Amino acid sequence: MTARRLALAAGRVLACAGRALACAGCVLACAGCGGHAPRHAPSPVAQANATHEYPSPPPPGQTAAHPAPDATAAIRAFATAYINWNALTVSADMRSLAARSVGQARAAVTLAAAQTAGDYELKRGGIANSGTVEAVAPLAAHGRNQYVVVTLESTTATNTTAYQGLQPAWHLALATVTEARPGQWVVSDWQPEN
Amino acid sequence: MVGKRTGGGLLLSGAIATVVVAGLAVAVFALITSVFTQGGTGCSPGPAPATGAGAAAGIVLGPPGTGQLVGATEYGGPGDPSSGVVGSSGANLLQLPDSYAELGGYTFQTATAMGGLPYLTPLRITWGDRSAIAYKRDIGFGGGPIDGLARVLDLWWELAGQLGIPYENGLWSGPVKIARPPQTGAGDVLGQASSSGTAPALIGTSTAEQDPATCAPQAVEGVPVTTADRAQLLANGLAAAPADAPLAVRQMIAAGNQIVGKPYLYGGGHGLALSAIAPSYDCSSSVEHLLYGGGLLPVDYGGPSAALESFGQPGPGQWVTLYANPDHVFMYLAGLRWDTHADGADDGSTGIGWHPLIRTDGGFVVRHPVGL
Repeated sequence: MTARRLALAAGRVLACAGRALACAGCVLACAGCGGHAPRHAPSPVAQANATHEYPSPPPPGQTAAHPAPDATAAIRAFATAYINWNALTVSADMRSLAARSVGQARAAVTLAAAQTAGDYELKRGGIANSGTVEAVAPLAAHGRNQYVVVTLESTTATNTTAYQGLQPAWHLALATVTEARPGQWVVSDWQPEN
Repeated sequence: MVGKRTGGGLLLSGAIATVVVAGLAVAVFALITSVFTQGGTGCSPGPAPATGAGAAAGIVLGPPGTGQLVGATEYGGPGDPSSGVVGSSGANLLQLPDSYAELGGYTFQTATAMGGLPYLTPLRITWGDRSAIAYKRDIGFGGGPIDGLARVLDLWWELAGQLGIPYENGLWSGPVKIARPPQTGAGDVLGQASSSGTAPALIGTSTAEQDPATCAPQAVEGVPVTTADRAQLLANGLAAAPADAPLAVRQMIAAGNQIVGKPYLYGGGHGLALSAIAPSYDCSSSVEHLLYGGGLLPVDYGGPSAALESFGQPGPGQWVTLYANPDHVFMYLAGLRWDTHADGADDGSTGIGWHPLIRTDGGFVVRHPVGL
């Protein structure tokens, strides 16, 4: 158990001790008037003892740079940055994109930034990707903030022939946006499908 | 031209047509090709220029490719009028000369000599020292083996010409190499697309026969998904991944589900590629199998648990946290513990797999993958 978790658990013990005293008083008061013993949700400590699990504290809130005025604009900006890069810029591009997004989208591009930073093959091949966002459409059946994004992309390489002759291809991604504040939209989930 | 296309014409008529036109072929060929040729010089049956203006429209020649040797035929062109010019996909092959047909049947559903590729599937096709990307736009029946190789595809005659294959009025047959080109697009190149790495083998094995060890760690299909914000242990011992988990996390859970219930053996799994499914695992090899599944370790990695003390970055991660020391390694993945016990764990859980309960982490170095 980490020191942080110990401190957290100790705090919860104190809090629950106070709560237990209050509950005891409540039980005594109820007993006097013939009522049933009140049902309480198990305290965090009791729950922890039973399950051996200590709930994590909620993560800190995320803020995104450069929110867009509407959902479509946020997605177009994100998608355009996601598909236009070269081997030398991709890691920085993904880091920048992480700062402009939240949630799973931020985690995904942060991971991409980390992986591409050390991707020797990517750099040695001189691989680049470019494309345009062709369509952004809402997914009516999947909540009002989910969209399908269609892009037309080309992948090229200056130092390998592997991509030579391949035509631009259609690609599809699913995006979810969040209105961080009124009129400030950011991408919160990004899942390329192909 | 043994393989016939459903969109092209009558079976076997190519051979008959060839006999009919054989005497006139040489004289008529130049005249007819001038009609069919858009660029004017690209359909010569002789060796064609490797690049440049001589290439038929849409065909971009590349370097020799590696790949699998298969039997191929050619079709179309002036000596094979019965094949027509419209592929079964509806494409006009004269306008799209970088085309091939998958053989094996009379319908799209039965012409599956290469596994039943979707239309527009690109293949790198190499003959001799020439190579080109071509797209599936047609199907055909096919026939017996060629030089002992399975007959799997039919090359549109203009494509064949650009590869340097001599035009024999649609009767040429021989071996070519085929290979899948790399997947394109940011999602695939960055390894984040759902379809990344899931392309099936071209020929030789059906999906059912395919060795799961060769590709399954890449696959996410079949992984149960939960709307909960943490992974859930299911009654069958498998784990359900949170729907909003990053792809790498879902892939790791998929890899874990592959080996749940394997017996524990000290040293088990080591010495094998991480893409393989070993008969048994120990703590480090099982954790490494999952990390490989998430694209976080190379396939030939095989370090002991102590080596994972320096994996990734220090401290717990948002999704993945490893606990490693020289004696043991385990990890939490989206809130669920992946652990190995030789026999009878003191927390009520045993064996290799997912465990719902936490265990003491004293004496372990805490690490997490970058970004997770």
